Amino acid sequence: MSQITQDMLMAYADGQLDGPERDAVAAHLTANPDAAIEISLFQRQNDAIQTLFAPVGAEPVPARLRARRLAAERGQRLQRRFGWAVAAVMLVGVGLGAGWLIRPMVDARPVSQTLIADAVNAHTVYVAENRHAVEVGSDDSEHLTTWLSNRLDTNLGMPDLSGEGFSLVGGRLLPGEPEAGGRAAQLMYENTDKDRITIYVTAALPDRTAAYEFATYDGAEAFYWANARITCTVVGTLPEGAMKQVSQAVYRQLTEGDVEAGRYRG
Amino acid sequence: MSDFLDQVEACVPALRRYARALTRNADLADDLVQDCLERAISRRGLFRPNGPIRAWLYTILLNIHRNGLRAARRHGETVDLDSVPEPSTPASQPGHLALAEMVRAIDTLPLEQKEALLLVALEGLAYQEAADILAVPLGTLMSRLARARASLRVATGTPAEPHLRTVK
Repeated sequence: MSQITQDMLMAYADGQLDGPERDAVAAHLTANPDAAIEISLFQRQNDAIQTLFAPVGAEPVPARLRARRLAAERGQRLQRRFGWAVAAVMLVGVGLGAGWLIRPMVDARPVSQTLIADAVNAHTVYVAENRHAVEVGSDDSEHLTTWLSNRLDTNLGMPDLSGEGFSLVGGRLLPGEPEAGGRAAQLMYENTDKDRITIYVTAALPDRTAAYEFATYDGAEAFYWANARITCTVVGTLPEGAMKQVSQAVYRQLTEGDVEAGRYRG
Repeated sequence: MSDFLDQVEACVPALRRYARALTRNADLADDLVQDCLERAISRRGLFRPNGPIRAWLYTILLNIHRNGLRAARRHGETVDLDSVPEPSTPASQPGHLALAEMVRAIDTLPLEQKEALLLVALEGLAYQEAADILAVPLGTLMSRLARARASLRVATGTPAEPHLRTVK
């Protein structure tokens, strides 16, 4: 029985052997008192560990360690958490609904701001174009005038800005804000330094009241006014003085003949 | 599910015993068992392996214990051994090792040896089951047990020469 190993002795002491293996170790022990001592040592270690800690297993289990109670508490916790989640979702819903309802009050941005933003945006997009900067060129200015006037349902003349050093490049029709007829005309002018300005014209707003605004938007200067016939925004990146000069020329020419224009002439 | 809770409930005394021996602190041990039960209850059905519930509970308990020790090490909250109350030690009986010495010797074992030794010597688990709980091969478990027992022998002042060497 030379294949009795230390591990087998330990297993024997731990009661982990059965059948032939156990018998083999038992037989080995009768012939080897040292091994028997070894095993009794293991067993005494086991006994000591049992004596030290086994009594804990016989103690009454505290209430907080009752599996049923823990499961019930967990259920309540989940229910509460679900309740809170429902409440949170409802609060968010109420907030969204209320926000939507008071939206017209909060959305205080006046139409003029929207028109200026549209004008500046259109300016930025098309002044960068070379071959397609305009839809109809200045060489066909008569057609341009008729076409845009018809589309905007107003009489739109092409301002002459030669006095300010600008000549007409051409114009195009753009989609616009629904409040201002849904369409817009953009006229583009250029000077000898290839500086470009655009004029963004729409039909009048429903209230037809006059307004007047100078704004810097997105790096561009914008001069906006509205009257009973049209709204107009002059956009460019010239220095402020030059922009004012050009804007006043446009204003003069586009409001000429308007009955109400005189009051706002600058 | 009540069947599941019954089975868990039946394991609680053994879990408390094992946790107490691991931590040597009654409150810490019961906290450990409570965490273990809560985790087991929250994971029933979803994560429970097919094996016996008891083994699964020991695995959960050991994981929580190790994580707790890791966190304690990170935060530097070590518990002084002397401040931990000793379990009541009956006067040493003939044939028993000095129990106080034994407690101290077990406390100083490396955790992996202590986990293995207590699963086998205290909880009476089969080697293979203990190896599965600790997620180590059977051979690893055996060598941990052998090293633990050798340390206990030295620490408890009962030196003995190993007469038989493992034949490989």
